[in-house]
Amino acid sequence: MKKGSAFGLILLLLSVITVLAGCGQEEGTKKESANSEVKSELIYASAKDINDMNPHLYTGSMPAQGMVYESLVENTVDGIKPLLAESWDIAEDGKTYTFYLRQDVKFHDGEPFNAEAVKQNIDAVQANAEKHAWIKLSTKIVSTKVMDEYTFELVLSEPYYPALVELSMTRPYVFISPKDFTNGGTKDGVSGYHGTGPYKLIAHKIDENATFEANEDYWGGAPEIQKITSKVLPAGETTLLALQKGEINFVFTDDRGADSIDVEAMNQLADSGDFQVVRSEAMNTNMIVANSSKMDNPVHETAVREAIWVAIDRETISNDIFNGTQTVADTLFSSNVNYAHVELKKREYNPETAKELLEKAGWTLTNGKAVRTKNGQQLALTLYYDSNSSSQKTQAELIQHALKGLGIQLEIVGEESTSIANRRATGEYDLLFNQTWGLAYDPQSTISAFTSDSAYKHTTSGLTQAEELYKKIDEVMVSTDDASRQLLYADIMRIVHDEAVFIPITNGRVTVVAPKNLDGISFKQTQYELPFEQMNFK
Amino acid sequence: MDMGSYIVKRILLAIPLLFVISLITFVLINLSLLDPAVVVLQAQEVPQITDELIAQTNEALGFDKPFVIQYVNWLIACMQFDFGSSYVSGEPVWSLVGPAFLNTLKLTLVSSVFIIGLSILLGVICAMREGRAVDKSVRGLSFVLTAIPSYWLAAILIWYLSVKLDLLPTSGMDSFKSYILPVIVITVSYTGIYFRTVRSSMLSNMNEDYVLYGRASGLSERKVTLHILRNSLQVAVSIFCMAIPIVLGSTVVIENVFAWPGLGRLSVRSILNRDFPIIQAYVLILAVTFVLFNTISDVINAAMNPRLRKDL
Repeated sequence: MKKGSAFGLILLLLSVITVLAGCGQEEGTKKESANSEVKSELIYASAKDINDMNPHLYTGSMPAQGMVYESLVENTVDGIKPLLAESWDIAEDGKTYTFYLRQDVKFHDGEPFNAEAVKQNIDAVQANAEKHAWIKLSTKIVSTKVMDEYTFELVLSEPYYPALVELSMTRPYVFISPKDFTNGGTKDGVSGYHGTGPYKLIAHKIDENATFEANEDYWGGAPEIQKITSKVLPAGETTLLALQKGEINFVFTDDRGADSIDVEAMNQLADSGDFQVVRSEAMNTNMIVANSSKMDNPVHETAVREAIWVAIDRETISNDIFNGTQTVADTLFSSNVNYAHVELKKREYNPETAKELLEKAGWTLTNGKAVRTKNGQQLALTLYYDSNSSSQKTQAELIQHALKGLGIQLEIVGEESTSIANRRATGEYDLLFNQTWGLAYDPQSTISAFTSDSAYKHTTSGLTQAEELYKKIDEVMVSTDDASRQLLYADIMRIVHDEAVFIPITNGRVTVVAPKNLDGISFKQTQYELPFEQMNFK
Repeated sequence: MDMGSYIVKRILLAIPLLFVISLITFVLINLSLLDPAVVVLQAQEVPQITDELIAQTNEALGFDKPFVIQYVNWLIACMQFDFGSSYVSGEPVWSLVGPAFLNTLKLTLVSSVFIIGLSILLGVICAMREGRAVDKSVRGLSFVLTAIPSYWLAAILIWYLSVKLDLLPTSGMDSFKSYILPVIVITVSYTGIYFRTVRSSMLSNMNEDYVLYGRASGLSERKVTLHILRNSLQVAVSIFCMAIPIVLGSTVVIENVFAWPGLGRLSVRSILNRDFPIIQAYVLILAVTFVLFNTISDVINAAMNPRLRKDL
């Protein structure tokens, strides 16, 4: 068997591997022990490092910042509630806010949290105001004043209705110990990461892990989970294997809306009996964003965008790709978003309508060709998806297939989320996956981003009504009267809906995969943080 | 020429090469049509970038200066081991690249020991048994193993050895146990390539005249083999020396699967974030490593074979 010997050996090896693999099936007991080691702590996987935790800049991981830092007020289902401020007054002119602070709060380094610290922090943010242009409050703060030890006054240049909402956000208006400031501020970096939150950052190894420890002196009572570790793991197989092995015991939807493991893997973990899967309510809208400003590209045409909209079978995406865990979205903002009760044209899934729209717009199929053309131009587009998302690729493939049937050639390209963000900012895209910013930020922040170069400027600037749209957006942000706000928002939503530049797919939720015996899993009004301090092991 | 001056000359020759590399790196990165300030701000994930902010950033980072001045400033800083700061985190490049480089180097060196050891062992065995069953099976098996994608092999090994048997950690770099799986995967992918070099070099040496003379003058078979091995390894040395930087530069897949906090992952992330100072440092480090190991291999060869020292 001279010639066959090599093959013989390989076959033997393969069969040995297979047999060994078969033997391993009944290895349930060992995993138990691995799980019990980490019973009192949570170790979660994250595709990215926690990065720079400076709360007044934007590279840090939001879930991690959410554990360490706190804001004056909190955005809840029932509206704005006290957090570091016990109460507040708004003067009649709508410009002066007086905050009465909690008196029992200390930063993690022991420094007192008081009006002086609040002033120093807000001044530090304002000293770098250009970087915070997205949050309109940063353009309206005129003065900050310490009234007494625990009373702080904030004066705005004009009344601004989302002021409290913007103060409640994860960044930048949160508080770090003034002892951590460098050069009297935070814009050149900070020397430590001492917040007031329920967890302290105690160790950080770049690109490996970060450890958070319960803040025993937390004003809201020490959290029950003693230790939380964020471990940097690539999404997909590596994360799933680490969960199965018990090296990590927690994963959740990241701040880009991507789940590190797919629904099938989640179900597999839930079936194993060791894990539970918990989902939040609809938090945001997953959508495809169309670049209306690309003049020489078919995507510039409303008819093409509308055709794509009705050609996407969102029902199938919801049922088959998300197993019903995400519901079909018909509009950019779901109806539980403020100001979003607007009558909008319904666009049902219907490939025939899509064909009619394209024919009417002059995109025709010549005999034998697979792709429609108009004046010699092919109906070809590119869709970019986040390669770290477990579901976007599948959706992209489904959409690619559906559009092929209509004579639209769709190329799909997977890239890292930062690269997608770059494309969105530079306008180098036809279509890309994106999500609205989430309950606490919708509609005001998402809509305000329509005018921002780095966000949706390219999406909206190619519309014929762009000028009108931008004017209404400027108006609505400073409008003091709720009824006129209602009308303005309705107009804005109608314009982008009719023009089909934001093609909604599903309403996204935050999904948590946690050990079976973990109690108290709840969610905030944003998809960016989790209230870890409320969790405990049974 | 004595060894000392040979080494000095060899190193001096490498310096202009490094200059050229640094210039090319700098030029290529600056050829990008993007406004560097916008790149920095996007890397910092600033949600909304205004014109004023772009102007501020340009001034702060010196992007408004002429290209040549930017290059000279960068070069002078580099010579003082100051590679600037990461656009994303603002931390010194060295504090990010340094540890990552060491992590990758550790993995590379451990793997290289196994790759070189196994390659020599298998190469010699196969050469001695040329055409027999052992030779054919080893070559056939190595062919298959080299062809297996490393991420697939890695996933199978993690699933079986870590999850099912619970013997090893699935990923990370916590203890010596963390090395086992990545080293196995790297060794499997490269040994198949390098043992062939040893084997063929052994085979060609076997047909040399000195072997015939050796045998004719009654040397024992063992001694003859040792002579062949020594001569064959001369060829192999340069190839093995280059294997180290090659493995070093290509661990990115392995680092990703095993969540190894190394240079490969850092570089890919920096490329995606367009974190140019880190990319520049990465390219420089790899270039220096290649030049360094190339020099080392020349020096070793020159030490083993004095004839090579003459024509430099």
